[in-house]
Amino acid sequence: MFQYTLRRLLDLVFVLLGVSVLVFLMVRFIPGDAVAIMLGANTDITPERVDALRRQIGLDLPVYEQYWNWLTSALRGDLGTSIWTGTPVSQEILARLPATFEITFLALVLALVLSFPLGVLAARARGTSGDVVVRVIAIIGLTLPSFWVGVLLLYFFSIYLPAWPAIGYVPFTSDPWGNLARVALPTVAVSLPMVAGLTRILRSSLLEVLSSDYVRTARAKGVGERGMLYKHALRNAMIPMVTVIGVQLGYLLSGVVVIEQVFAIPGVGRLMVGAINERNYPLLQGVVLIVTGVFVLINLLVDLTYAWIDPRVEYS
Amino acid sequence: MRAARLLLIAAVVSLGTAFAQQGRLEVAIDTAPVGLDPHIVTAFSSFAVIGQIYDGLLEVNAGLELEPALATSWTVSDDGLTYVFQLRDGVTFHNGRAFTADDVVYSFDRIMNPETGSPQASRFNEVASAVATGPLEVTFTLNVPFAPFLSNLTNLTVVPREVVEANGGSLQQVAVGTGPFMLKEIVPDTYVLLVANPNYYRHGEPKVAEVRYNIVPEASTRAAGIRTGTYHIIPDVDPATAETLKNVRGVTLMGVQDLSYTLLGLNVSRAPFNDPRVREAINYAIDRAEIVEAVYFGNAQPGGPLSPGLTAWATDTANFPCYASNPDKARELLAQAGYPNGFHAGLITFGTIQVVSDVAQVLQAQLARAGIVLDVNVAEFGAFVQAWRNSDFDTFVSLNGGATDPDGYLFRTFVTGGSTNVFKFSDPAVDELLQLGRTTTAFEDRVNIYDHLQKRLACTGPISHVAYGTLFSAVTDNVVGFQQLPSRGLRYLREVELR
Amino acid sequence: MNAKRFFTRLWRNRVGFIGFVVALVVVLAAALGPLIAPYDPLAQSIRERFQGPSGTHLLGTDNFGRDTLSRILYGYRTSVLVSLGAVLIATVVGGGLGLLAAYWGGWRDRLIMRVMDVLLAFPIILLAIAVLAVLGPGSLNTGLAIGIVYTPVFARLARGPALTVLSWDYVAAARALGGGAVRVLSKHVAPNIMAPILVQVTLSLSTAILVEASLSFLGLGTQPPTPSLGLMLSESRGTMLLSPWVSVFSGLAILLASFGFNLFGDGLRDLLDPTLRDV
Repeated sequence: MFQYTLRRLLDLVFVLLGVSVLVFLMVRFIPGDAVAIMLGANTDITPERVDALRRQIGLDLPVYEQYWNWLTSALRGDLGTSIWTGTPVSQEILARLPATFEITFLALVLALVLSFPLGVLAARARGTSGDVVVRVIAIIGLTLPSFWVGVLLLYFFSIYLPAWPAIGYVPFTSDPWGNLARVALPTVAVSLPMVAGLTRILRSSLLEVLSSDYVRTARAKGVGERGMLYKHALRNAMIPMVTVIGVQLGYLLSGVVVIEQVFAIPGVGRLMVGAINERNYPLLQGVVLIVTGVFVLINLLVDLTYAWIDPRVEYS
Repeated sequence: MRAARLLLIAAVVSLGTAFAQQGRLEVAIDTAPVGLDPHIVTAFSSFAVIGQIYDGLLEVNAGLELEPALATSWTVSDDGLTYVFQLRDGVTFHNGRAFTADDVVYSFDRIMNPETGSPQASRFNEVASAVATGPLEVTFTLNVPFAPFLSNLTNLTVVPREVVEANGGSLQQVAVGTGPFMLKEIVPDTYVLLVANPNYYRHGEPKVAEVRYNIVPEASTRAAGIRTGTYHIIPDVDPATAETLKNVRGVTLMGVQDLSYTLLGLNVSRAPFNDPRVREAINYAIDRAEIVEAVYFGNAQPGGPLSPGLTAWATDTANFPCYASNPDKARELLAQAGYPNGFHAGLITFGTIQVVSDVAQVLQAQLARAGIVLDVNVAEFGAFVQAWRNSDFDTFVSLNGGATDPDGYLFRTFVTGGSTNVFKFSDPAVDELLQLGRTTTAFEDRVNIYDHLQKRLACTGPISHVAYGTLFSAVTDNVVGFQQLPSRGLRYLREVELR
Repeated sequence: MNAKRFFTRLWRNRVGFIGFVVALVVVLAAALGPLIAPYDPLAQSIRERFQGPSGTHLLGTDNFGRDTLSRILYGYRTSVLVSLGAVLIATVVGGGLGLLAAYWGGWRDRLIMRVMDVLLAFPIILLAIAVLAVLGPGSLNTGLAIGIVYTPVFARLARGPALTVLSWDYVAAARALGGGAVRVLSKHVAPNIMAPILVQVTLSLSTAILVEASLSFLGLGTQPPTPSLGLMLSESRGTMLLSPWVSVFSGLAILLASFGFNLFGDGLRDLLDPTLRDV
């Protein structure tokens, strides 16, 4: 296990390197030009000025040189400075992480809290109307786009509960209740698809485990249905759950990116969208690298958990 | 009883003075200001904030007239070449230093310095010199008489030299002006917070203690926020949202004629748009009344090259024959130009302004009726700007900002090689009229010149002007004294009170 | 299993059969949309804008007076094609890579899965935006972009259970007898990991419609005026309070499609998964 972990950590380095190359190239493939956008639409800018700005940002160097410069300073903890504000990129990202992480984390917790009982319920009640109800609710949850749910929630609260502070973000440390009230709606909106997804996965993997040979054997030996479910089935059914949680977090974060726009929350998503629109290369690269790094780490944790739960997976 | 009432009145009076600057005005805007340097930025979102912090020599009021700001009075020589401005006494910058004529000269030089790269520079090309002729007197000398000079001076924002120099020449992140509010805090993508300037030269203003610009990208979220009272003012409400806020209790919708306009731009360096008959045909194919209904919910006016808001200048659209929608006539003109079956062309636009992408869709359907098939590409804004800048388009739909002087609308857009003449339009007769319009000073003569220009440009110019909308803002009922300016500025926040 | 037996079994699996019918309706609507749509989905009629359901316009009209029913029928065409294409690409490419990684093991496994990790590491929207930025906007490219984004999901999903299956004695034996990668994987491994893959396919079909919506919302997906369900939903959110019909009906249309695909997938899974037959 230790060796396995060590090797996965080594892999992590290569993944991050791959990510950095891809991020860097990707950002440059996006049409539009930071300099053109910086200078705005209605200006009388001379070509000399454009070139000067280009040099200032380092866009005049060959691409591989730009990459190398960026990578080496990133390794020293310097992600560059934002083209617009001139503040260090790392500082801008750190300021935005709390809101995004809080909503993502709460949505994950909410999804787990809701999907476990729902999935178990559906599996146990397989084929009955209870099962159908849970599955239908799950499908509806899956099919509602979170930005649409967000707008609906916002309309509803602004018309019927105008006193509820639904828009914006305040840090938990400065106003705990204000914080929770504001993150509640976006959290619900983004977690719905994940609740639905996890419920479905749990249901189907529970059913699969329950029909497997060893459970059938256990059943034949007279182990009670309840005991079977909790003792044998749930632990094994968690394997696909765990695999999927890593993937689902990706969807969750994409949902948060959109919902931040709807609820005017200053998170990483808006930073990223803004950076794309402004062609703020250093900022965009930094955000994507950091977010991606966090993701890779989570995926690693998922794999390690997976190996730990399922002893059949070899470490070789 | 009588004594008690007196006491009460006394209490109210003392409240009135003690709380002279009371409350925080919450404003919701859609995008964060991208930089704060008044000599460099072009975005509306930046000006919404900068307008509170800095002053120009002159300012434009709600009636589009010039009013004194840092200049209190001025004289013009008979030949129209020398302008002498008397400056306001007792004005200080937010850092406490007194404002003098040298600051005006410094700011002018900064704009004109190519190193600054100021988009305002071209407005002052005809200025030969700006000299401080007294501690509070500035003299501008022009090369030729230049009619738009005074209105262009509203763009001469006065900045303090020491602050520029202390920040490596850039004012994008700091803001020290003479205006009613001072910059306190910028939290990216969240808000910009301004506080009242206690030493503002207009006594009794500003009336609120703080203004907070909340950055709220979604229109429906801003609307929800004003319903609940989270925000007090939403400037620039789109027509659909305005419709939903019309009968909301506690919210007042204000509207003025916008100076900005939606347009279909044509690249005249590409066939078939190089043919004036094709450009005329396009105008005939457009049904502007329908667009006003479909896109603006009836709250717009079809307009020509100048906003109907410039009542003294704008030529009535009844004088533009091609503004009467007539698809048959359009087909006829296309046939004459050699396109009896119409043609295919590209159209690029962007999705961040609802009105713009809606106009594009309706135009596409209307032009299709005349056989002109447009392939619409709703590009991401950055990509659009680049295509626009490089004249890399067949046609485009966008929203263009306006000005208070006709020269501001027309010169750089239509003059050969003009900085925003992305259409590559060139017409010697238009060039001549544009020059004449700038250098003529007699009002009647100018009106005449611009009337000619509008008639010449309306039907066969490189732009099919579509409509000038109503510029809406929504204000909660506890806000008193807010004025909506046609220029999209928020200059009068200093007069706003919160009850 | 022949067709008759398949449908008999499907009939007995009530939920699956309902799903099958709904999915069939959606696919038929997508295929036959142009034939059955009462109006041209692009024809504007400003005088008839913002109408509720009526005899002339069964599902009402939008802000340009376009017929909502016709736009939904054409919208199915776009959305279903984009989603099906995307999931097909992801299943074949991603699933194939996952199986091969599990089969080969060692450095090739690590290489494939690390490349997948690199792709998976990106928030899906951003990766999709980047791919579209390179390819250019449009429905076809949106399908391709979503396909690429979903590829690592299927690779990971296939690889995990494939490792388990490959460790089964008879599969290991088949491999030892020199079955060859393609043969062992297609004959022994793929059928045994179909259940989670199928569930993922159905999940992905519905989420692909939503990703298409987000991309259209950002202006990179389907280009107006071409109707797609996602585009209709995001375009109508601004006028939801004025006239909720477009928003409601395009939302319901997405719901219907996803509902059908999901239930059908579930039913299919019950039928195809040999381990579940007698539960």
